[in-house]
Amino acid sequence: MRTRGGVLIANIIAGLALGYTVANIGFGDYAELNRMFTFQDLRMFLAFGGAVVIIVVVFAMLRVRGTPGRIHAGVIPGAVLFGTGWAISGGCPAIPIVQVASGYLPALVTIAGVVVGIRACRWANAKYFHLDGGSCGR
Amino acid sequence: MSNYWPWWAGAIGLAVVAINYTITTDRSFGVSSAWDRVLHWRAERRVERLEAEFTDDRALAEALAAATAEHFGTRPAAPTPPYAASTLGNAPTHARDVSPTPGERASVASRRPAPLVSQAALLLSVFLGGWLAAVTAGRFELRFDMGDGFRELVTDNPAQMIGVLFVGGVLVGFGTRLAGGCSSGHGLNGCGRLHPVSILATAVFFGAAVLVSFLLWKVI
Repeated sequence: MRTRGGVLIANIIAGLALGYTVANIGFGDYAELNRMFTFQDLRMFLAFGGAVVIIVVVFAMLRVRGTPGRIHAGVIPGAVLFGTGWAISGGCPAIPIVQVASGYLPALVTIAGVVVGIRACRWANAKYFHLDGGSCGR
Repeated sequence: MSNYWPWWAGAIGLAVVAINYTITTDRSFGVSSAWDRVLHWRAERRVERLEAEFTDDRALAEALAAATAEHFGTRPAAPTPPYAASTLGNAPTHARDVSPTPGERASVASRRPAPLVSQAALLLSVFLGGWLAAVTAGRFELRFDMGDGFRELVTDNPAQMIGVLFVGGVLVGFGTRLAGGCSSGHGLNGCGRLHPVSILATAVFFGAAVLVSFLLWKVI
């Protein structure tokens, strides 16, 4: 599965499963999301935290480590901006896609915002920040 | 609206997605970096082409070195990596010490990003997966608002809604790239690998979201 075709198939499976799971947990539902972040309902919080615990245990058994990215100057400000945006729009980068797929058409505006934000970040980084790519998902 | 999965089913689902992807591809996936690369496809295609050329050049150089070594009956010079030497059939002992644990293989493979096409496929599949979930659970409904929760907590004015969603989207896009990942890349895959940068980022974005959500709920 390390060939181009293998990675493509793995990405399709991961995308389908991620979209299906995230939608069924309720991450696309703004009311549920706010109840999670205000600790009124711990269901989604436990789903996320539980997933992290399972992954930690399995990766420890399989000795999966990878190379951690560097903690650069952009991590904390970036995470603050992301958390704020997530709380007000209900979207982390996968969620607006799931929201549109569930019929919430205004989430197309969120996607447009994400597109503008990502392009603006690469532009601003090249021009002003000069942080190394240190991206986690690569 | 209680036909959502119980927490343990969600946890198993998310974990299976991340673990299966890592085991099958030796990589880690992140939705925000998929977005980033797809949106900059022109530049990314150039990089992919350059990398392919570079790989060809390196293969050529390695073949030349191996042929030279064979001709003169010598091993390649010391800095040559073990796999070049093993093609001669006289692998040095330390090559056998390097057991191919998943972690080590991952660190080699994940140095190169997943192909651009597969990142686009990831985003499209998230859409399809979400659609399947909504339709099969009977939640699918075309609508021009973001639901009762958004109306009560944020705004009931459509123009304001558009503005809030756009600004929120920009913050999400800019923030995830600045922080180097989102809830899937840092949150699931990075925290799952206990990477300090991911634990820090996840703590901070969850903290910020909790703060803003309380403000929306109690104050605004």
